[in-house]
Amino acid sequence: MISAGIDAGSRSLKVALFDSERRQILGCGLADQGLEQERLAADLLERVCREARLDRAAVRGIVATGYGRNAIRFADTTITEITCHARGAHHLAPEVRALIEIGGQDSKFMALEEGGRVRDFAMNDRCAAGSGRFLEVVAGRLGVGLERLGELSLNSRKAALISSMCVVFAETEIIGLLAEGVPAEEIAAGVQKAIAQRVAVLAGRSIKRPIGFTGGVALQSGMVRALEEALACAVQVLPQPQYTGALGAAILAAGRSREM
Amino acid sequence: MATIASANQSSAATPLEYFSRMVDHCYDAAEAAKSQGRPLVGIMCEFTPREIILAAGALPVCLCGGSAGTIAAAEQYLPANLCPLIKSTFGYHVSGSNPFLKWADLIVGETTCDGKKKMFELLAADRPVYVLELPQKAEDPDAMENWVREVRKFKEHLETRFRVRITEARLQEACRLMNRERELRRQLAGLMAADAPSLTGRELLEFKSLISGLEPDLEQYAQALEWLGQRRAPRGTTASAPTPVRVLLTGVPLAHGAERVLDLIEGCGGLVVCMENCTGLKPILEDVALDQEPDPVRAIARKYYHLPCSVMTLNQRRLETLRELAARFRPQCLIELVWQACLTYDVESWRVRKLAEELRLPYLKITTDYSPADSARIAGRVEALFETVR
Repeated sequence: MISAGIDAGSRSLKVALFDSERRQILGCGLADQGLEQERLAADLLERVCREARLDRAAVRGIVATGYGRNAIRFADTTITEITCHARGAHHLAPEVRALIEIGGQDSKFMALEEGGRVRDFAMNDRCAAGSGRFLEVVAGRLGVGLERLGELSLNSRKAALISSMCVVFAETEIIGLLAEGVPAEEIAAGVQKAIAQRVAVLAGRSIKRPIGFTGGVALQSGMVRALEEALACAVQVLPQPQYTGALGAAILAAGRSREM
Repeated sequence: MATIASANQSSAATPLEYFSRMVDHCYDAAEAAKSQGRPLVGIMCEFTPREIILAAGALPVCLCGGSAGTIAAAEQYLPANLCPLIKSTFGYHVSGSNPFLKWADLIVGETTCDGKKKMFELLAADRPVYVLELPQKAEDPDAMENWVREVRKFKEHLETRFRVRITEARLQEACRLMNRERELRRQLAGLMAADAPSLTGRELLEFKSLISGLEPDLEQYAQALEWLGQRRAPRGTTASAPTPVRVLLTGVPLAHGAERVLDLIEGCGGLVVCMENCTGLKPILEDVALDQEPDPVRAIARKYYHLPCSVMTLNQRRLETLRELAARFRPQCLIELVWQACLTYDVESWRVRKLAEELRLPYLKITTDYSPADSARIAGRVEALFETVR
């Protein structure tokens, strides 16, 4: 059976196709988020099916997740990102006991039990300062692309101190740092450090290992290192980290269809 | 969350419908009291002994603000980063939009938290305010004696202010009235212990009144018990709707108008089977034990002294209460609500979380205020919590 997961995130839509017999991912795709979320998601699903050389009609179960999940009315049901990320991560790395997800506009921490069930979770969604949006704002301020921001951080010798709890104020703080002549490398590293520290607070003191890292921000060079320093332990980026939520949704869709 | 229509579609108002007009009834009662020369005493904390107020011939009315609408007015005087309950209450004063606050002949302030304590100073500039000092060290042997003295002083203050003599007989009468009210409300809350309760947590929250000790209210509580005994369990609109997740809600009170988080929890498929907070079971768990204490003032003081408020250190009793309530109401998870800037509940939540872990109850803390801005985010967390339970 083929199922689909749609992760309607704050910045982008992600789709994953899953073959439940072969326990295999058949395809993944991503599109920018927009006003007509449902149509964009439907188009993306068509595209991913086409690329995987599959008939759209062959897709049996669909689960939507992410902030926009309730807008995807053609999905059979909705499940929160927390459960979907945990399920996706469990498929990719069953040994993982803690999961950090940093997305476009929030960050999450999940403590996982054996079998991938969520034991506890925490979310930072009050402010974008612990999220990918923060990196975008800083990259824009430094006049570089997102990829280049990661590379810059790798070349830094130390990280600038960025203490603001809010993206808007942090941007002001960065303007100040630039005016003082602090190199862009240090600012890039400072921003990553600030995000990592915020996530470490979210994770709390009794974090279990191994730790998996998902979400679009996991693709950013330097972020893993920043997280490892903040948590004082190894962090493993899961394969194709931006699709973990969509994958989990697809796996859960397969499970649901079997039950019915 | 919509209230569920009664199975019996008779035209007579149900007790639930009666309490949906609770503010109107209180308005009428307050107006009648004023015309009879009975004073109105505003209170803002469950520590204030309503029995003393009733024994003075006055009506105790809760002034706690639950409206987001009055907060902007309050912020002209108070810092933005303050508990919404305090701001809303004070906002009602500034805007003059709470008739009970306007009519109150006396406002009793309580030192339950620093924010309130300082707000009362501003309120006292325009209104007669009497501050009750609460004990802070719950287990200190002197604390109870100090509290008895404080309650006695309060009684004397009311006697002087309202030129009445608060006799033992009047105190005993007031205690019996309040005990009866608490007993009825306790029984209503106890209905939620059933496997399939005949009401929602939101409906249960309706069964309370801003003014305590009103006979028509007590009659309606008794009728509600009968009515709910016959009512079928409200379930989702479709047969396929999953069984609701049983929730124990703890933390800050849900002042009238500030029921948003409860609505979100039950809107996401939860059933709040127990509210361990000041608008729930906390203040009605214990009665004034007149049979164990010959001096009614002391008996009253003892009842209130036992309130497991987060202002107490060490507030061990709250954890014990939660443990007992969890055993009795069998929740599947524990949700703690903390109003923004409520330091005592916020810090104490760490101990509640630890207790939840020990009881193997998934735990979620929600920190918010009265603004609906974060409703979608709160709902998302609650849904995720329920997914971990199911």
